[in-house]
Amino acid sequence: MSATSHLVRLDALGPSGAYRSRNVQTVNDIHGAPYAELSLVPPLFVARTMAALRKADPLPLEQRLDAIAAAGRAFATGTVGGLSAEEYQHAVCRVSGLPWVTTEMALEFTAQYTERAYLSSQLARPAGAVNDWRDPRTRHGSGVWARRGHVFAVHAPGNTPSAHTLWLQSLALGYRVALRPSSREPFSPHRWITALRDAGFGPDQVALLPTDHATADEVVRGADLAMVYGDDEVVRKYASSATVLPQGPGRSKFLLTKDADWTSYLDTVVSSVSAHGGAACINTTTVYVEGDPAPLARALAERLAALPSLPPQDPKAVLPVKPLAEARGIERFLLAKAAGTTPWLGGDGIVDDLGDGTAVLRPAVHQVARPDAPQTRIEQRFPCVWVAPWSPEAGVAPLRDTVVLTAVTDDEALVDRLFAEPSIANVYLGDHPTYWLPPGIPHDDYLESFLMRTKACIR
Amino acid sequence: MVHDIDTVLDAPIGDHPDPGEFIRAAMRWHFDPRTGSPFWLARARTLDFDPLTDVKGVDDLALFPNVCDELRDVRAEDLVPRGYGDRPDICGIYESGGTTGRPKRVVLLRDWFDKSQAWLGATLDAHGVPRGANWLMMFPTGPHMGGYAYARLARDRGSHAFSIDMDPRWVKQLIAAGRTEDARAYAGHLLEQARHVLRGQDVGVLAITPPVLERLAVDEELTALVRDKVGAIVWAGAHMDAATRDLLGGEVFPGIPIVGFFGSTMMLHSCGQRGTEDPGACVFDPPAPFITFRVVDEDGKPVEYGTRGRVVVNHVSRSFLLPNNLDRDEATRVPGPPGQVGDSLADVTPVQVFDGEAVIEGVY
Repeated sequence: MSATSHLVRLDALGPSGAYRSRNVQTVNDIHGAPYAELSLVPPLFVARTMAALRKADPLPLEQRLDAIAAAGRAFATGTVGGLSAEEYQHAVCRVSGLPWVTTEMALEFTAQYTERAYLSSQLARPAGAVNDWRDPRTRHGSGVWARRGHVFAVHAPGNTPSAHTLWLQSLALGYRVALRPSSREPFSPHRWITALRDAGFGPDQVALLPTDHATADEVVRGADLAMVYGDDEVVRKYASSATVLPQGPGRSKFLLTKDADWTSYLDTVVSSVSAHGGAACINTTTVYVEGDPAPLARALAERLAALPSLPPQDPKAVLPVKPLAEARGIERFLLAKAAGTTPWLGGDGIVDDLGDGTAVLRPAVHQVARPDAPQTRIEQRFPCVWVAPWSPEAGVAPLRDTVVLTAVTDDEALVDRLFAEPSIANVYLGDHPTYWLPPGIPHDDYLESFLMRTKACIR
Repeated sequence: MVHDIDTVLDAPIGDHPDPGEFIRAAMRWHFDPRTGSPFWLARARTLDFDPLTDVKGVDDLALFPNVCDELRDVRAEDLVPRGYGDRPDICGIYESGGTTGRPKRVVLLRDWFDKSQAWLGATLDAHGVPRGANWLMMFPTGPHMGGYAYARLARDRGSHAFSIDMDPRWVKQLIAAGRTEDARAYAGHLLEQARHVLRGQDVGVLAITPPVLERLAVDEELTALVRDKVGAIVWAGAHMDAATRDLLGGEVFPGIPIVGFFGSTMMLHSCGQRGTEDPGACVFDPPAPFITFRVVDEDGKPVEYGTRGRVVVNHVSRSFLLPNNLDRDEATRVPGPPGQVGDSLADVTPVQVFDGEAVIEGVY
């Protein structure tokens, strides 16, 4: 990453090093001013990079773990590609409009995850499998944990920089990795690949492949396995593919049954909705309350209303900022979708014009009349929460399609049913925010379940 | 044949006949009841201008309506000017690819074909494409003109063409149906056939479409065979962006001339890439005044030089008249070489269709 004139230059990072394309996408900041230039690679570049990655050997285990940890330290505290950590944070906020706090969290997560990348992945190893065929247990017959492929491609999400910690385990496992950045926030992927190369990964072991929309599929096709972030459409597209792991909307939920005194959990509900600027899939989209949801909705609205409107790079900023026109578009969408609900916050709109062509997306709290109201599935990239009534009769059905469900309940039979429901990925019980996700905890299953397999060995 | 009338129409392309004189002669030919085609003579009655008096130069061709769509249904024989007599020398009847609906049909007459081929040959010479070297030709034959024309070009240059056929319409159907893997498999099928030819035969020129060339360029054996044997690569029939041209020329096939051609069936010709030092520039000059380009905005007004717009193509020859044809491509408008009437084109791409603004649900 280097600055030509005033624009940050984000080159592709291919097998021959940095690659400046003739096809450059200008990345604007939230004021609409050009901020960075992203080199878009053509399909042929993707195919040649994938061929190089497939030919390369992985770094030996110790070396790659050291390199991952070193890259994590550099990412979080060092100067990478000419940008200090603070300059990087500034770039992320300035372009994506994410509030400063999300970049702080990302740097903190980064250090935690990269130190523990291997330990985390070991937690996912089946109890019957050893890491290496040389392990004495194979003399009597054992499973051996092995990669399902050589090259792993990731269509990186642009919603929050913390999300990048999720694919790092693949490097610990020995995969060669190609990352396609989101043009909404290409700085984090560029910083990651640059830091990994600086730390010892070869240009034929990790690559950054910015592409236009049409070429994006080439990145997936060229890899053995791929993880793709996107909307419901993306999930449908790849649902039947054994080699693509789609990551769709999270639609995280919070359930409070009648045996829970919601006032004791209000702090946790508020932070579940609004941490990460509300932009993560592990932010709560819908709160279900057994009994009258109105008091909780009112209290939630009061608390969220107190969050300050600030430019994103302000150290106290916690809410996302968008170009005014885009913010207005999101507002129109929300108001149209919220028709027929009871607004507690943001019913007149969620746009707070900062007067400089940008606007803060203020929190929204709406109460819906039924547990299965269609609004409960609408996930947004700002603190936007739907409060819904729930009853034992409604049961598990409205709680489906959820990456994290926090349930505050004494009903063990209900908890059993939540664990039995396949479309609920994670169940947290009691006073735990939906965004709780330390290293070693599966996010949407262990990624290793997708990346690894167990082979039998006897010798 | 009534070719003694207005012989300016028979000038070789390289003679650069005077555009005004040429266009007026062409109008006299195509709209004279003795020499014009049944199609144009009938169509003339519906025009709100008189081609004989109102069309005095290339710019006035814009007066014509775009009759391209009518070529989907018109009887092929009715497109042949009567001036060619009872037994016109027809090379073939060719069809558009079928990208935009039912195919359009044109008639390729010998005199134009010879003229067009001579000009193509001169372009290949200018780019250093070897003579006397066999071609491996991976262009579609059948209803498509490319396979016919390029195979004969090889023969004209003293060699043979090994031909591998392809059906672009089937590929388009596969892609439209979302069957991209099947489309890839079809390209793989073409390349396996190419492998046999490249392994066993003397091949000095590779003529290929950009998508298949891109696939070839990631196959190690095929890439090595092309590097060893081939003295020039000719691409046509689709688009290639600057970044891909860079990669192919700079990294995959260094030192091998890669020459692009932009053409279409409706143009009855393909225009070779202008020779230049900058590999990133890909400019196509038409053989004016026979074929001329105009780059226009949505309202049909010319865009500024250096600006992108839709391509309007005029074909005016003794054999055929297709003025004011709004092409499916867009390009950057660039000035032609000195003396050329109309525009030249840079960085031709298919027309982009943009979707309206949409708020996306979900966080990614």
